[in-house]
Formats: sequence, structure tokens, C-alpha cells
Amino acid sequence: MDTRAAVGFLAPAGVGFVLFLLLPTIAVLVLSFFDWNLLSDGTFIGFQNFVALFSDTRLASIYGSTALMAGGILVINIAVGLLLAVLLETRMPTWIRTFFRFSFLFPFVVSSSAVALIWRFLLDTDLGLVNYWLGLLGIPHTPWLTSTAFAPFAVILVNSWKTLGFSMLIYIAGLQGIPNEVREAAIVDGANAWSRFWRITLPLLSPTVFFLIVINLINGFQLFAEPQVLTQGGPGDSSRTVVQYLYDTAFQSFNLGYASTIGLTLIVVLIVLTLVQFRLSRRWTFYE
Amino acid sequence: MTVSGPRIMSVLPRILTFAILVAAAIAIIAPFAWILRASVSPTDAELYRLPPTPFVSDLTFANFGSVFVQLPFARFAANSLIVATSVTAIQLVTCSAAGYAFARLQFRGKKFLFALVIGSLMIPIQVTIVPLFLAFSKLNLTNSLWSLILPPAFSGFGIFLMRQHFLALPRELEEAAKIDGAGHIRMFFQVMLPLSGPAVATLGILTFTYWWNDLLLPLTMINDVNQETLPVGIVLLAGRYASGTLGSIAAGITLAILPVLVVFIIAQRWIVQSIASSGLKI
Amino acid sequence: MKLRKRAVGAIALGVVVAALALAGCSSSSPAKSGSKTLDVAYWNYGPEALTNQNSYAKGFEAENPGVTVKGIAIAGTNWGEYYANLATLIASGKKPDNAVMSSEGVKFLDQNHLILPINDYLKSDPEGKSLLADIAPGLMKSLTVGKDITTLPDTWNDMVIYYNTDLFKQAGIAPPAADWTTDQFEAIAKQLTDKSKGQYGFAWTGTEVFPGVLPWIANQNANLVSGDVCKATANSAGVEKAFTFLDGLIQQGISPVPPSSSEVISDFQNGKIAMFGAGAWPIATFAPAGFTSYDIQLYPTGSTYKTVVGSGGYPILKSSANPDLAWKFQKYVTSAKVQDALIGTPTNPYGAIPTLRSTAKKSADAGIPPANYKLFYGSIDDHPSLTPFPGPAKYTEFESTVLRYTQLIFGGNETVEQGLDDMQQALSTIVSCK
Repeated sequence: MDTRAAVGFLAPAGVGFVLFLLLPTIAVLVLSFFDWNLLSDGTFIGFQNFVALFSDTRLASIYGSTALMAGGILVINIAVGLLLAVLLETRMPTWIRTFFRFSFLFPFVVSSSAVALIWRFLLDTDLGLVNYWLGLLGIPHTPWLTSTAFAPFAVILVNSWKTLGFSMLIYIAGLQGIPNEVREAAIVDGANAWSRFWRITLPLLSPTVFFLIVINLINGFQLFAEPQVLTQGGPGDSSRTVVQYLYDTAFQSFNLGYASTIGLTLIVVLIVLTLVQFRLSRRWTFYE
Repeated sequence: MTVSGPRIMSVLPRILTFAILVAAAIAIIAPFAWILRASVSPTDAELYRLPPTPFVSDLTFANFGSVFVQLPFARFAANSLIVATSVTAIQLVTCSAAGYAFARLQFRGKKFLFALVIGSLMIPIQVTIVPLFLAFSKLNLTNSLWSLILPPAFSGFGIFLMRQHFLALPRELEEAAKIDGAGHIRMFFQVMLPLSGPAVATLGILTFTYWWNDLLLPLTMINDVNQETLPVGIVLLAGRYASGTLGSIAAGITLAILPVLVVFIIAQRWIVQSIASSGLKI
Repeated sequence: MKLRKRAVGAIALGVVVAALALAGCSSSSPAKSGSKTLDVAYWNYGPEALTNQNSYAKGFEAENPGVTVKGIAIAGTNWGEYYANLATLIASGKKPDNAVMSSEGVKFLDQNHLILPINDYLKSDPEGKSLLADIAPGLMKSLTVGKDITTLPDTWNDMVIYYNTDLFKQAGIAPPAADWTTDQFEAIAKQLTDKSKGQYGFAWTGTEVFPGVLPWIANQNANLVSGDVCKATANSAGVEKAFTFLDGLIQQGISPVPPSSSEVISDFQNGKIAMFGAGAWPIATFAPAGFTSYDIQLYPTGSTYKTVVGSGGYPILKSSANPDLAWKFQKYVTSAKVQDALIGTPTNPYGAIPTLRSTAKKSADAGIPPANYKLFYGSIDDHPSLTPFPGPAKYTEFESTVLRYTQLIFGGNETVEQGLDDMQQALSTIVSCK
């Protein structure tokens, strides 16, 4: 047993865990039982905040918007990320491959607020380039940022544009992990590219897909910067995320107690989502 | 069967492949190109004209100057640098140590503790900003960079990443070192870490860029403009009565992106290498 | 590899040490022995705010040797955010001596017991009394809550219509008269709309209330709140009329869906909109940029005319350790010397209106653009103003709620009627006098 060594190696992370994760999480739970205005200390109010959750119609619709945007981002990341990763396997000079990989990955490392601000200009209804190019194709100007129907899709577009490269990268890793013998065996067996992909590659990629689903869902549900800068969550609450609502409740309405309660719901949602993923994955994930 | 028959069959998928890749690359790069072009435009009139002209008639760097006049942009960049570097340093230390422990040490409760690590992924920092804010408030540390550096000290993702990496290192090295009488500390510093270049670099870069780009924590903890970081600075740049020129906003965005671009050009090789290598099999 | 890693490790360590040093430096500023420090919190809404604060600080320090004025620049994209951030700052333990306050935040700051009223100072201080005499009573009224006078105002703004003189000339339209009606306004705006050039006749901001919908509401003899600011009146007949008019402009393509405040200003500067509404602040952006083809006029009359006025000052905060010094600073920024200097020059004018009547006369004669500059003062002296200022105690939440629903309405997502009813319902818990 390496207990002493383990304590030594785990201590630095452990301190961080206790101070900045465990205690704050417990505090979120405790604060939910209080009415805490920013400028004065809190008063205990029992379950009132929890009761308020049920009559909070805004929260329900905001969860709806969040789920929609998270779902959209997930679908695009899973599908297009795979597409790009597979396409990059094609035979091509290394420098071209590097160029493509670099381009797709670059938005991932740029600040969300910069990305969102750029897109705020590009998606402008009258002066934005996107509508200009769409207009050349005969499509009327879309009110990307001012219509409740389109605003969540603007957020989906902008965040996917940013996160796609990372998903692609994970797929590349997954693809490289597939032993060549397996692929060669399939070719020898006479399988064509299409069936090779569906019958061999995809199942062997399932752990990767699973990982990406979990990561992208968590990312989607904790979205803040893009909707904040792109649409401020508007119009109405159509592109508002739970984290934005939490932030506004705490620092605009100065209701720290209820904001903590909202945080609690998000923790529960994330745990449930992840557990469901793990459960479902047993059916379709194939580990060697 | 003519010669062109099978050739078309093998060429068409390739054409399609490259068409899609090029289209995707354009879709990704075009917005940045546009911002870059906007940042060196002398007047907004050009930018308001559609279709946009690809080349600027009168290249100017005046917009960059005006950015620094409007807001303490240099301070923002400095603050961002300090925060991102410090968080990265702290996380590299805590995550590699903990990752090694989970990968190579035997101890009671290892499964439980690792489950905690994975579980922590479901408690993003966003839900804890309220108590974090209150705590730092009471300690009088809001509006200081400490409030941005300390909360991200723990990273479940980082521990996970490093553990996967250490798991994949060949056991023979470990055994050879044990025969030599190496204790865990020597093993870690002199055997394991030196082989962890790509993994450490990857974690470092991912952490650095994430916290360089974070918006929520500075918005929560900092109200004093001089303690703000770049992401907030960018939002302020397009705020109420900015200069009124799109050019200077574009210049600000370009300035915020450039350092990351540089770091990324240097380091992307490592990221791809380490994630793509079997060492980080997910 | 090892060497490089050591180097990287050393650099990282060095940066952490630097961080410690810098973080330590920034959170505590040791005052020079024997000197007093005045912490003044202000809204950093743009470069002008910083220059203004610095000039106040330097001037005050020059007149009071041994005193250091430290400015705390607070972030925010509108007044609501500024107050939220200011409150957070105070809640986190910082104790500024003065903090910039506008009409929007009077109730908020007062109700949270953050302000030290200056009634006693005004009674006992002859300088204070004489300053008071030179300030329009309407301005003081907007800064008084009950019996508490919260501050002397150092600047104020009112809303006027800016119009592009070049575009008017090209279209052969005569400059508007002060008593123009909303119908005449609409006709002119329509004439100046040119879809092929992407030019709109009129635009207003969707990210603020004061320069956005408020003047139109005022001129329909309505307000967003009741006279005692205890109830919301968002779906009253006058408000609905104003919103319907504005919505009509969007439907006809005369106005775009309201963009942000800074976009409105830059769009006007680039000839994309022919008219917009604002106070005096755009002139501080236009003049240095060399943009001069504009003039101002009163808002068009609806069922009535009321000037929308907002003033601001540097109230003394209750948490101040130096209230007497803070009072001195407040007097200083309102003094004739500083007010006269505020006027600026024609190429570098100040973006707000000075509050002393005597200064008012001087600036009108100083050639500050635009040509109709005297209208800024004329509007409060010669016309009734909208009272009360719709600034309930929960201002931040109030503003963001109003804006949320105006975005829904003007984006075509809800009808005017439905949107205003929803706004009224949402505001019912926010605007109240418990």
C-alpha cells in the first residue's frame, strides 16, 4: 500500500477540491434555504426558494432554451466532427492536413466573447455578411438575433463553430486507435468503404462518441459567454441559458438565495443526464 | 471500360472530400479574416459597404492605438496573462501529481476518490459562483486577481487526462526504476514526468486557453475596470459609447486573439500528437 | 526535454510570484503618510469617462494638497449594470467615499441606505447654498427622495432628436421646427428611408430605456411608473400608443430593429440612419471624429410635449470615512470653475450639459456644436419635463425587464398589446413600495 505517498501526491489537488469544489457545492445547498440580498446578510426561509422553483415559468422556458441549444450543439459536434475527422484521413500532403486541422481547431482556443462579438456583426440582419451571402442565393434576410425563432440557432451556430474542432480532434484520436489489421481484414473480406464505416469503424468509435456526447452535453448546459454577448439571452428568453439566469438572479436581482437554488437544479440535471448517458451507453458502446 | 471510367470513380470522392474540407475551412477562417481586415480599415464606411472589398485601400494601424486609449487594454492583457499562467501552473502541479497517484499508486478508497473526480465534472464552476463570490467578498479578495486564480485550482478533467496518460506509460520503465531502488518521488520526477511532455503540454495549453478566455469568473468577481481581463474588455469595447467605430472594436478583438494564435501555432503540434497518440485513449 | 521543462517551470513560478506581488499591490494602496485618500467610484462608459474623472481628480488634488483622489472605474454597458456592479463592489467590502449617481439610481442607492443626504451640509455651508441657487429646481427635484437631497448635480442630459443635415439637404427637406408632430416626423423619416442604400429614417437604442422608448412615452403623456414610483404603468394607453407608433416605424421599414446604443451612434455617423435620439453625449464622439453635418431639435409632439431629463452627481456614500472631504469634492465638481471648464472646445466638447445656469449661458455662446446647442438648456427652462423619472429602487432588474419585453415587441415576436401586458405583469413584483 502506498498510502503515505498517495496522500502526498493527492494533497495539492485535494486541498483545491475541498476548498473550491466541495465546500462551495455544500454552500450552494445551504444558501438555497436563505433569502440573501447582496447588501445585507441572509435570513433563513426554509423551503421557500424550492417552492418558488415550481411557480417560476421563466425557469422552465429557460431550461427549454438551454436544452434546445445544448442539443443542437451536440448534434452538430457529433455529426460534423466525425465527418471532418473521416475526411481528413484521406490521402493528402501532410502540410495540407496540418493546415486543415489547424483551421478547424483554431476557434476553439479563441475567447468566446471575441467569437460571439465577431458573429454579432456577421449575423446583423441588414449589415451582416451572412445575410448578404444568403441574399445572393435568394434567401430573404433572416433576423438571426432579433427573432425568438432564430436566436437560439444563432447561438448554436456560433458555439458549434467554436467547439467543432475539439470534437474533430477527439475523433481523430479515436480513429487512430482503430488497429489497421481490423480495417485491412475488412477490405480483404470484400467490404466496401461505406459498409466498412458502418460495421467496423463506427462501432469501434463508440467509446469516443460516448465521451463526446457527455462532454458536449455538459458544455451545452453550462453555456454562458456566447448567448451573453450575442443576444443577452434574448429576445425574451429564447436564447437564455440557465447559467445566465443564475448570474442575473444573483447579480442583477440580488437574490443570492434563489440563484443558489437554480444552481442546485443545474447540478441535478447534469448528474441525471450523465448517469442516463452511462446507463444507455452499455447498450450501444462497444469496448474491445 | 474506358480509362476515365474507374478514374472518375476514384477521383470523385476525392474531389468531394476536398470540396467539403475547403468549404469548412473557409467557413472557419472567413470571420477572422473579416475582423482582421476591419481592424486595419481607416474608416467604417468601407466596412458598411457590401459586398466587402477584400483588400484595404488605405491600410492603417490607427485603430489599434485607439483601443488602448479607450480602455486600459494593456492592463487587461496583463491581467489575463497573469491569471491564465498562474492557473495553468497550479493545475499542472495538482493534476499531474493526482493523476500519477490514481494511475500508479495503490491505496484504499482509490475507486471512490476517482469517482469523486469524475463526479466533479458534473459540478461546473458556473453553479458555484454565488458562494465563491460571497467567500471572496468576506475575505476582501474580490476585485483582485486572486479571486480569478484560486477557484480554478482543482480540475477533474485535468486529473483524468493525466491519469490516462500515466496509465499508458510502459510498466517496464517503472519496474526498472524500482529495481534501481527508486521511491515514488524519484519515480515521478525522474522517470514519469520527463516522458510526459506532450500530455503536460496539452493540459497546459487547454487550461491556459480556457482560463485566458473565461468570461464568467471576471464578470462575477471584478467590478473595478482596472482589474478586468481581456474577455470582459472585449465586451466593454462594444459597450455603451465606445469610439463609435467598428474598426477599433475589430482591432481590440484582433489584439485579444493574436497571443492565443501565436501560442496555438507553436503548440498545436503537441496537442494533436498527444491526444491522437494512444496514450490518451478515451 | 528536461532542461526545457525546468525553464518552463521556472518561468511559471516566476509568473506566479509576480502574480502574488501584483495582486497584493492592487488590492491595497498604501496612502502616503499624512495624506488623505478619496475613493470615487464612477461608471466607465467610454474613454470620456476616464478623462473626465482624471481631470476632476487632478484639479481637486491641486486645490487640496495632501489629498489623493483615487478613481474606481466600474464596468457596465448601461446604467442598470453599473448600479449592479457598484452594489457588488460595496457588498464586497470596498467603501468608496463618492460614487457617480444618475436619476436612474437615486431610489436604488437611497433605499439601500448607501447615501448620506446633504441637507445638513446645504443648511450650514454658504458655498453649498449659493451653488443651489444657480441650479434649476427641476434638476434638484430629480435628485431628491422624500426629504433627502441626495447630491448636487454636476451634469445632466435631456433627450433631443439628432438629424443629419446633409441627408436633409439632399432630400430637399427643411430643418424641422420645434413644434413638429409625430405625424410630420414619420413623413420626414419615411422620405429619408432608402432601402437600396440601406439607409433608415430613424433608429433608437434597444439596450437602454432613457434614450430609447422613454421620450416617446413622455410625449404621449404617459410614464412607465406611477407618480409615486410605486406601481408599474407599462400597459397604460399612452405607453401603448408610443410603442405602436414605434412598432409602426419598424413595420414600414423606416427603422431597423433597435440595435445597441453604440451602434446607433456609429450608424448615424456613417450615414446609415438619418435621425436618432440622444442627450449631449454623442457630440463628444462626433466632434473629435470631425463629423459635423448634424443638428438637433426637440422630440416631435405627440398628445403633449415633455422633456425627458436625467441628472447626475457624486453623492457622499454612508460608508465614507471622510464625509467632509467627500462633500468638498461634490461641491468642487459643481463649482463654477469646474463647470465652466466642462464646456470644452468646439473640437473637443464635453458630452453632457453643465448644471449651473450661469455656465449654461456661457456654453451657448462658446460655439459648441451643434448649431442648435442652446436647445439643450432651452428644453428644461422653457418646457415641462417628465416626472417622476422612472427609476424604481430595483432599477437594474427594472431596466433589464423593460428591455427584454421591448426586444420581444420590436423584434416582431409579440404584439405591442401582448408584450406590454406581459411587461406589466413582470414589473408588478419589481416596481413596488413595500
